[in-house]
Amino acid sequence: MEEENSKNIIDLIKSGDKAALRKIYDENRNIFIKFSRKYNVEKVDALDIYQDAIIILYENIVNGKITDLSSKISTYLFAIGKYKIFQLHRDNSKVELQNELIIEEENIYLDVNLHGDELTNQQELLNKYFSQLGNRCKEILKLFYYEGYTLDEITEILNYSDKKVLKSQKSRCMRQLKDWIKKEL
Amino acid sequence: MSKTDLIEKYFSNSLSPKEQMRFNELLQSDEKFKKDFTIQKDLQKVIARNQHNDLKKTLQDFEKDRPVLNLFNISKKWLVAASILILVGLGFVFLKSSFYPSPEKLFVENYEPYRNIVLPIERGENANTIEQSAFIAYENKNYHKAINLFNSVPKTNTTYILFYKSMCYLSLNKTNEAITLLKKITYSDYEANSEENFNELANWYLALAYLNIGETEKASDQFSIIVNDDRDVYKKEDSRKILKYLN
Repeated sequence: MEEENSKNIIDLIKSGDKAALRKIYDENRNIFIKFSRKYNVEKVDALDIYQDAIIILYENIVNGKITDLSSKISTYLFAIGKYKIFQLHRDNSKVELQNELIIEEENIYLDVNLHGDELTNQQELLNKYFSQLGNRCKEILKLFYYEGYTLDEITEILNYSDKKVLKSQKSRCMRQLKDWIKKEL
Repeated sequence: MSKTDLIEKYFSNSLSPKEQMRFNELLQSDEKFKKDFTIQKDLQKVIARNQHNDLKKTLQDFEKDRPVLNLFNISKKWLVAASILILVGLGFVFLKSSFYPSPEKLFVENYEPYRNIVLPIERGENANTIEQSAFIAYENKNYHKAINLFNSVPKTNTTYILFYKSMCYLSLNKTNEAITLLKKITYSDYEANSEENFNELANWYLALAYLNIGETEKASDQFSIIVNDDRDVYKKEDSRKILKYLN
């Protein structure tokens, strides 16, 4: 029963259901803050970390690293949270904590550092021009690069008559981006 | 397999070990391949970052939307105490409303438009005069139409016309208009030639009208006038009952 529930929730979240996300957020928020208090984390920081943990969970669901939850959602959140709390302490105190991933205790494999660094020049430009693309382009690129769908899958999702059409549409989108960037360089 | 296909497979995580080796080699040796791949990898990062920021904003909005009163932070003891207080409070409100109906409720329970005693209308009879049309509309509870017609009769200021107009207003919940008319009638002299004493009727309806707008003090005064009348006036007994609720 429990497993079936979390499977549903994953599907809902993957489909972009805000209410499901909110449910998870509300259900675990207060215990998480309580839990952070044990590690001397103030509420403001605890909330920030909690939100990041939710995002990481979300991203791992979206990019397909989590397809069904072997543990309860809260276990994932606390594992990520713990890791983030140690990171925070390390950054604050500069005391080198032993850097083993605490997450491994729970046998959960997650990508917790998807985008830490600053953007390079090219990335800044891509950032600027991506938002200027048409919705169709944005959707294709998001499905491919962010959600990790194959071109075959996207052909189906977006109702293209066949993969070739999608492929040429996608390369038109990329060319547009590259052209815009070229002008700036 | 083309270079484009290799990159495509990289992004859908489906490179075989052999393909992965070729991919790595190309990355080292083929400048164009590397450039082509890097821009896509960068795009991936940019999209992920955008999504991340959007999501963070969504979560912050969730946080802002949270109810101010956080029940989880209040100890159980207080919650129990508060619940009991609320129950007791509700009990009082309930008791009060069952024994002491609100003024508005008293109005609804007691108000009934006065029957047409001026121009009794036979079923199916056609209207010959405006006044007759007005009373037909009145009996059919078509109060808007009745008001318009009462306004068009030759002697609009006759007491009984004013009285029935006030009935229309009360029925339409235009209480203040009704009060203006009813006051006029209660101040006017007894009309000797009228079969019914509209003064008496107006006293009762004026009292009810005050109830309907929550003017309980004025209503009380008005009911007292009725109760204290030596004569056997209209609705004396009902007025006495209502007065008990009001005091």
